[in-house]
Amino acid sequence: MHKKLIVLLIVAVALAAGSALAATSGSGKVTLTLWHNYGTEANAVAAVNLAKAFEKAHPNISVKVVSQPAANYFALLQASAISKTGPDLGVMWTGLFAIKYQKFLLNLKPYFSSAEQSKINSLRYMAPNFDPSKGFLVMPLENQFYMGFYNKALLRKAGLSAAPRNWSELYAACAKLKAARVIPMVYGADPQAIQSSPYPWYDMSYLLAGIVSPAQWKDLYTGHMPWTSPRIAAQMTKWVSLRKKGCTNKDVLTKTNILGAFIKGKAAMISDGNWDAATFQKALGSKVAPFVLPFSDRPQKGVIQYSGDGFSVLKYSKHQKEAVEFLKFMMSAAGQKIIIAAGLIPDIKGYSTTNSLSTQMLDFAAKQGSTPYPMLDNVIQPEVVTTGQKQLDAAFGGDISVNAALKSLKATLDQLPADRKGSIYK
Amino acid sequence: MEAEQPPSTWRHRRLRHRQTDPLAAQRRRVGLLFTLPGVGLIGALLIYPIGQTVYHSFTSWDGITSRWVGGATYSHLVHNPEFTQVLENNAILVLAIPVAIAFPLAVAFLIHGKIRGWRFFRSVFFLPTAVSWVVIGFISVRFFANDGILQHLLNNVGLGFVHPDMLSHERSALVAVMITFVWSMFGTNLIIFLAGMATIDEEIYDAARVDGAGSFSVMFRITIPLLKRFVQFTFIITLITAFTALFSLIFVMTGGGPGYGTTTLEFFIYEQAFSAGDFGLASTAGVVLFVAVAAVTLLQLRLLRIED
Repeated sequence: MHKKLIVLLIVAVALAAGSALAATSGSGKVTLTLWHNYGTEANAVAAVNLAKAFEKAHPNISVKVVSQPAANYFALLQASAISKTGPDLGVMWTGLFAIKYQKFLLNLKPYFSSAEQSKINSLRYMAPNFDPSKGFLVMPLENQFYMGFYNKALLRKAGLSAAPRNWSELYAACAKLKAARVIPMVYGADPQAIQSSPYPWYDMSYLLAGIVSPAQWKDLYTGHMPWTSPRIAAQMTKWVSLRKKGCTNKDVLTKTNILGAFIKGKAAMISDGNWDAATFQKALGSKVAPFVLPFSDRPQKGVIQYSGDGFSVLKYSKHQKEAVEFLKFMMSAAGQKIIIAAGLIPDIKGYSTTNSLSTQMLDFAAKQGSTPYPMLDNVIQPEVVTTGQKQLDAAFGGDISVNAALKSLKATLDQLPADRKGSIYK
Repeated sequence: MEAEQPPSTWRHRRLRHRQTDPLAAQRRRVGLLFTLPGVGLIGALLIYPIGQTVYHSFTSWDGITSRWVGGATYSHLVHNPEFTQVLENNAILVLAIPVAIAFPLAVAFLIHGKIRGWRFFRSVFFLPTAVSWVVIGFISVRFFANDGILQHLLNNVGLGFVHPDMLSHERSALVAVMITFVWSMFGTNLIIFLAGMATIDEEIYDAARVDGAGSFSVMFRITIPLLKRFVQFTFIITLITAFTALFSLIFVMTGGGPGYGTTTLEFFIYEQAFSAGDFGLASTAGVVLFVAVAAVTLLQLRLLRIED
């Protein structure tokens, strides 16, 4: 009796194990984990919808989308990559951010044909050393803009018919808006921001675009144009004076929910990016319009237009084939349709947006003769970017001098080893 | 008659007896056996990581590959202009420690004197201890913000022309962090002092009062001297908290800014490791932090021993 019971138990366990094994191998279902730092912005909508559509097209693959905090996303991604416990796919910023993390990222070149690669508009900035022959690390999600937005109704209320185009027009507009009891430009952070104070590189990109050509930005990387250059200092001084002249809210470093202030019509202008365009359009309708930040003595001719983000496959992923499949799906007509529907501007040739705000942004370079520049923080050393996030803000808030902030950037660059500021982007 | 032997010889003999006694030897072996798991755990979870950190402090380490560079990381750290400010911030933070000890000590004395409603106050003052640093940070931001509670208080008492906007400036932001730190340590230190006061014999107080001692004399001549060990303990845990446990508070309140105004050594370590990806330099700063805390603690212990 006792023996029979034992035999029965063994058979039951064996059957259970066998059926479990059969379920695993039979279904062959793979789960991809995807991390993003988009909060609830348009990019997040696109990421979630891409995952859903991909699952539908690939019934054997499910995608678990995880929203990570924007403020320390890269810290989390790096820590998880070191311990090989992170996602299969992750949002990656392009340019030197991707190069910084390239040890963790799968080079995608072997997985995409030359024809497929040629469809990516900004392949250069996805590549090690910005050289596509060395492969590429990121599949871009969208074409992005650092952009100013203005409320036409508030400008009209102050007697202004158009957005300012240079420093003097900006200062004049500020005076009129102040007289009309409107905050001219709102600065601070929004709830989904990457830091609790303004991200200074939106403005810094336009400050530099106001004085040098795109090619000269490499000189900032190599140090041939020192951060303490008088031309940069002069631009910075004008920028810092915005707060002093009352062009901004007083609490530029600590104000929160600046998007809310702009949407509610408390501020006339905001320095932001196209990822919030859909939010502005939804709230303000035709009253909102984009403008290039007028940080130039002559009418600003630079526009910051660049594929700043996308998805990468992490090297340690056990499902690299499936993760690459997801990136291919992003490139497909179905994927691009989802990206466009979310209000983003596609970066794959042959696809375009129909959104009116996005079209206006594209027209700056396409029809109005503006020169496209990359985002400055994507083409200079991340260490300098980090220092800038602190010191440029401190200068903007009036806590340290412009020269002290710029010296700090220079000191950070000076401390880097020679091969991190040479001819090759590292 | 056997001559009386000097005590040292007695001790020597007793020791030899213990060494040859099989029961004592067995006890020693069992004792060692019982301490092994503890030693293993401490070794694996404390000594080994500390050793690794010290090793990596001499390397260029990006989290994956490390290369021995000797003292170059220390030289790099010393020449880092921000590091000087970070050290300054830590030094200023130390100034909050006496306040974080003196306030709860005074309040503990009042509560120990069983003033009216002492049970209520004891609970209220202990409350911040049960609140997470993150929540405390958010409350503080609301309090110190430009249009926050502090500004509203000033407006309501007719001081609306004063705009401290403390989180917008380097030094005042650090002061805001220090005030928050003192407030959040209040409960812990209060309970420690109350526990200490409960150990003091009531008869000593009675005798002092019979001799005509007032409240201040009792506090300064009896309570505080008898609480010396408790003060020493609170000093050490407050120091360690200030240097190694304020990360989440700073992260929420100021993000280490404006500029590097509230970047402390532990925050700097996080930034170097996870923002800059320089784990070697972060390890170096970690060793500096470890040495700083150990040095201040040892100095404090030594000063108290000298007084004893």
